[in-house]
Amino acid sequence: MSKEKLLIDVGSTYFKVSTSSSIKQHLRDFNKDIFDDLIYKCGEMIHNYPKDDVYICSSANGGLSTLIVGLTHSFSLKYAKNIAFNSGINIIETVVYQDIKDYSIPSDLIDVVIVVGGINSASNIFGDDLYSYLEKLNYSNIVFVGNKKDAPTIAKNIENLVVLPNIIDDKLHIVEENLKEYLTNLYQADIVGKEDIKHLYDITSNQIYSTPYIVNKTLPLIDARFSVVDPFILIDIGGATTDIHYSKDLVDNNIVTQNEYDRLVFKKLGVYKSKESLIFSAKNNEFVYELLTHLKVTENIFEEQSEKALKVLMQLAIFLVLCKMSHYKQAYINLKLLSVNSIVLTGGITKVLNKDEIEGIISFFYKKILSSDHNPTTIMDSNYDIWTMAITDKQSKG
Amino acid sequence: MKVVTGVVGNDIHVVANRLIELSLHARGFEVFNLGVNTYLEEFFDAVVETDADILLISSLNGEAEGWSREIKILKSKYKNLDNLVMVIGGNLVVGTASPETIVPKYKNYGFDLVFHQVDLNTGLDTLEEFLKERNK
Ligand code: B12
Repeated sequence: MSKEKLLIDVGSTYFKVSTSSSIKQHLRDFNKDIFDDLIYKCGEMIHNYPKDDVYICSSANGGLSTLIVGLTHSFSLKYAKNIAFNSGINIIETVVYQDIKDYSIPSDLIDVVIVVGGINSASNIFGDDLYSYLEKLNYSNIVFVGNKKDAPTIAKNIENLVVLPNIIDDKLHIVEENLKEYLTNLYQADIVGKEDIKHLYDITSNQIYSTPYIVNKTLPLIDARFSVVDPFILIDIGGATTDIHYSKDLVDNNIVTQNEYDRLVFKKLGVYKSKESLIFSAKNNEFVYELLTHLKVTENIFEEQSEKALKVLMQLAIFLVLCKMSHYKQAYINLKLLSVNSIVLTGGITKVLNKDEIEGIISFFYKKILSSDHNPTTIMDSNYDIWTMAITDKQSKG
Repeated sequence: MKVVTGVVGNDIHVVANRLIELSLHARGFEVFNLGVNTYLEEFFDAVVETDADILLISSLNGEAEGWSREIKILKSKYKNLDNLVMVIGGNLVVGTASPETIVPKYKNYGFDLVFHQVDLNTGLDTLEEFLKERNK
């Protein structure tokens, strides 16, 4: 335990480098390869640590996206959605198979398509409609987790189909493990598979994990450093994504799973890399203009490149992510936000906004959207304790 | 044959539901019991996922009629349920009414067999005869 460790987080915008005595962040140089940039900025320090004592996590490329084709809302789609959430995957679209011809095809590249439906004794569920939909869809991976009998035919018709055991058992209950492991590995592979990241194994002999995975691992330990009152949510606003982690008690959902905490990654709500889509979501929210007035700025702020503009974008990100999780917008998951006692903030946001600025937005949200004076306490993870706590706890996987 | 069963709506009377599962099982059916407190969409969704032949709904607390009125509209949204045998039983009205008025009403809602305050075994015997006739 007493051994000095060096912790490095590779974000889409910054590197964070933490030792037992200090934590520093460096703006990345996008003209350089990650490894070269890191060595250029922190090489001297890194070379003081043996590979065993260097721990790296990365969120440099946001999360994965999925599209799910299933049979029904109450079973196959519900179960697959739940597993995808737990694995930190963004759900772009869910398609009810019988109506598949009525859906428009998303233009974005989908990282992984999940096809699911039927208990193992059911068969002949999927056919030509599925194949012609998939022909038009742009995707990188595809996995089938539905009834056993259809699997061989589907595998014949779809190239590179991965077949895993059914996520619905013979009593119509959920079976999580296989799909969850597949998605978690895919996410992990996506992060470390990037040539850029692979190169980082030159300086560490520990496995490189995704940052949301690491943060999620910290949540059960959070009491050790912060006075958080359960139930709580944690919002991590960074350059490419906004992640929200929440305790299961906050969800109206009767699916029983093992995790105490779940997370959602909003790929399009980052303040640098996905700034345009953040602004787009903002403009589509009817309350945002009122919020801008409340912050004493106008829409023109979106065109600006200033410290003030960055602050406003971060404030919008908090507001939008809360809206997305509330009953105001019907989303995949709606949290019981009136029961939340603490909101923990981590990531770049803690360096940009102060506590008052954050609390102002949170109470604006509760008043306008939920018509309530509810006021959860906010806790700022200004020293990135949350990230450092779990990263060295590598054995805790699984 | 596969049967999906459960108690519709906010109804929590569980005793009959357990007996139904046991009896159907003893008669050789493959049973998917959704238990008490089951909404119509979940019943139909379970039929789709299991490829069931029969949907057997029970209702004890008097909610049956309210739900039954929505069956046709909901069922019309599903594309492959034309051959499904639909059965309902339990206490199908609030207060009292004769089978002569109740049965046609529920048949009109879309049920093939209707058992208002009929003993379970009698009801299931009738179901088996109905299936035999149908498969002739
Ligand atoms: C026990 C009971 C309760 C318990 C239930 C405990 C539990 N978790 O199961 C409690 C106290 C919680 C309860 C609550 C209520 N109950 Co209550 N309850 C009863 C009681 C006394 C016995 C039910 C029972 O278990 N019987 C034993 C089983 C084996 O018999 P069964 O349910 O009748 O089922 C048989 C048949 O109906 C048939 N059957 C059932 N389904 C099907 C389906 C098919 C296809 C077939 C063929 C046959 C079939 O098979 C079974 C065996 O033969 C009955 C009165 C009675 N004596 O029947 C009232 C009764 C069912 N309850 C009634 C009411 C009104 C209520 C409440 C609304 C009361 C209230 N105001 O709060 C609540 C509703 C709660 C809810 N959300 O559902 C009424 C319903 C009236 C109606 N439909 O018009 C009844 C009939 C009492 C009465 N005479 O007023 N109740």
